[in-house]
Amino acid sequence: MHTKRMAMKNWNDQKTARAARIAAGQTVADGKMIPAERLTEFLEAVIRPGDRVCIEGDNQKQADLLARALANAAPARINDLHMVQSGVVLPEHLDLFDRGIARRLDFSYSGPQSARIARMLFGGQIELGAVHTYLELFARYFIDLTPNVALIAAVSADREGNLYTGPNTEDTPTVVEATSFKDGLVIAQVGEIVDRVPRVDIPGDLVHFVVDAKKPFYVEPLFTRDPAAVTETQILTAMLAIKGLYAPYGIKRLNHGIGFSTAAIELLLPTYGEALGLRGRICSHFALNPHPTLIPAIEAGWVEQVHSFGSEVGMEDYVAARSDVFFTGPDGSLRSNRAFCQTAGLYACDMFIGSTLQIDLAGHSSTVTTSRIAGFGGAPNMGSDPHGRRHPSEPWLKAGAEADITSPAPLRRGRKLVVQIGETFGDKNVPLFVEQLDALALAQKLNLDLAPVMVYGDDVTHIVTEEGIANLLLCRSTDEREQAIRGVAGYTDIGRQRDRKMVERLRERKIIQRPEDLGINPLDADRSLLAARSIKDLMLASGGLYKPPSRFRNW
Amino acid sequence: MSNLAVSWFEATARQRLAALVDDGSFEEFLGPEAREASPHLGLFDLPRQFDDGIIVGRAKLSGKSVLVAAQEGRFMGGAFGEVHGAKLTGLLRAARKLGQDVVILFDTGGVRLQEANAGELAISEIIRAIVEARTAGCSVIGLIGGRAGCYGGGGIIAGCCSHLIVSEQGRISVSGPEVIETNRGIEEFDSRDRAFVWRTMGGKHRYLIGGADDFVDDDATGFRAATVAALAAGKPLTRTVLEAEQHRLTTRLARFGKAQDGYDVWKALGMAQPEALPGLAVEAFLDIARDRRETSDDAR
Repeated sequence: MHTKRMAMKNWNDQKTARAARIAAGQTVADGKMIPAERLTEFLEAVIRPGDRVCIEGDNQKQADLLARALANAAPARINDLHMVQSGVVLPEHLDLFDRGIARRLDFSYSGPQSARIARMLFGGQIELGAVHTYLELFARYFIDLTPNVALIAAVSADREGNLYTGPNTEDTPTVVEATSFKDGLVIAQVGEIVDRVPRVDIPGDLVHFVVDAKKPFYVEPLFTRDPAAVTETQILTAMLAIKGLYAPYGIKRLNHGIGFSTAAIELLLPTYGEALGLRGRICSHFALNPHPTLIPAIEAGWVEQVHSFGSEVGMEDYVAARSDVFFTGPDGSLRSNRAFCQTAGLYACDMFIGSTLQIDLAGHSSTVTTSRIAGFGGAPNMGSDPHGRRHPSEPWLKAGAEADITSPAPLRRGRKLVVQIGETFGDKNVPLFVEQLDALALAQKLNLDLAPVMVYGDDVTHIVTEEGIANLLLCRSTDEREQAIRGVAGYTDIGRQRDRKMVERLRERKIIQRPEDLGINPLDADRSLLAARSIKDLMLASGGLYKPPSRFRNW
Repeated sequence: MSNLAVSWFEATARQRLAALVDDGSFEEFLGPEAREASPHLGLFDLPRQFDDGIIVGRAKLSGKSVLVAAQEGRFMGGAFGEVHGAKLTGLLRAARKLGQDVVILFDTGGVRLQEANAGELAISEIIRAIVEARTAGCSVIGLIGGRAGCYGGGGIIAGCCSHLIVSEQGRISVSGPEVIETNRGIEEFDSRDRAFVWRTMGGKHRYLIGGADDFVDDDATGFRAATVAALAAGKPLTRTVLEAEQHRLTTRLARFGKAQDGYDVWKALGMAQPEALPGLAVEAFLDIARDRRETSDDAR
């Protein structure tokens, strides 16, 4: 028998279709160059109803000019779009749905639009595909959510369309790879057109059109934490984490989530960490954005290497001057890459530590409240145990041995440490521990198959609060696990309903460790321990290389 | 690396006082053990403090006996309530009777909203007590460099002092950034632009326009040295002084009234690189600022 060929099948329809779009674009564009004042008209010429469209943007950079131009399009020309994008962050991203230009949405992060997106989902203006993690959405770009059109952002372009994406390269290479090599159309907004780009981040033959926005794309300084706002409770939890987790497990490779608790850890390394003799033994390799609060530790020689998802506003010169630590290009500036850094955080780090808004008695955590859908971003990738990991490391093996006492060592899977850190009462005195996550109520309200859980309980290995550390790896039953969580939940309702006798037994088995069990006096948790106590201290520690944005300066 | 001496900005009111005055010389009046807490906050289910957020007493500064008051910015933003205000009024009236100078460590957002009437009355009583103490020949010296700054009624009280000492972190104004933005719009004042807030209300700006007399580093030694010097200088409040101050303020308004930003004022003062001023360390800043600043020409 031989294979029967399909009669009359054209195997290159997509290429033909792209060629037709490029030809249609020529009614407005001159070669690859689109006149900025006719951008909307141009988009109407090349985008077809029902297209899958990616407007580049995440929790940091935004293709803002292109987003605005698309939101101004005539719904009669462009409609029923299926938006597949990391971030729904700009108001225009949702205006598309209000105006009937877009209908369906697959995304990852919604940050500042979390309340409006929730209202629009309740109101049925958006047909939701799914809320993803970054890595998951990137993966689907290559399988079943490949964009027909990608609207991306770069620092500069030359006349051939070679792009320089600079320190905030972030998602661009992934989006372009998926779109351009599958016959989709790539349109870039750039801050300026130059004769020669400082480095080629995206080769010009993958880029079909360029528009000169004449100003830089928008970037949110999301990872800057002012040391002046770090509280003594956060310092205490940071001391517990360093002495009770980083030191005994010997955590060298890790990722820090956003927040003041992890900023406090970064600021304690050169002082408290140094006094404990931990330099060189912990925190040498990071999957991390260039956090300003990491400057004192870098300057004190703690950090060997950092790979970044994105950059951070004001850190550009500092990073360029510390190329032994960061990944930089031939032009000297940072090269970030979200997909690679997410993969690095998932597979090559032994610990994730971050904060959350709610933790339930099974250890599930979520940042969702009933009226807001903030999405996931990358936290679930960082905060999960990768079952595909095969290389051993000391912390991974030690955690694996704590979790599984029956399997023979060569057959025992290691465990990544996934740590939730926070104060028992968070912002506005809202308790961190809850009977039931708000995410469940939301799932019910929206009729979702899955509640938006940020980190699943079975991935969480430790919970750190000012009351102590709960080691969930050592728990042998769900009952023990529940009491271990109650045992560090302080004066919240969850904490007050603990079984005191059982909690004391857990403490004897070191499942719960109090500050005094670790030789930490809570009265020592003082702001004078911070290696920098203000943004200005950070600027001074960097030798003036860190240039904080105006909104963070108190001078 | 970070300066780990006693940072005025970081310190509590009690730590500031301890670092300011001669060792062991402080004697507190109506201390926390007297439990003179606010009679109003309980109605709002708000926590009270046994000293109502202000410490008053007597101490020695370089051997000289003075009366001192220190506001605790961490309690209700250092705001003036009934008891808080009465303690300061009492101290100032005692100063007049005893013929003693007063040092006030400001750290306040203004009047406590929960006891607004009592707080507003307290502000007026304090102003009157300061003027009476000063006309009787006492100096009233204000120190500003705390987290809450010196806002609202606190800003007006500061304006009545004989001498003000400020650090870079210190802010002096009546309406705070958020209040101005709420009332006049973000075009008038972007309260989230912190560098702008400091360029218009911060220590360096106030020193440059003569709104403060000394500019010191954010540590207790700097504040102490400047306070000792100011006490030695002592300037009684007379009609001539008041008229000179009125004249100075009129000229200032004419000269800078149209300025939109601290930068405009500094440029008008003849600063070659106004945008470089915020980044300068204390000594370098004073080198440039001393001769060009709008002096307080002994008005206070």
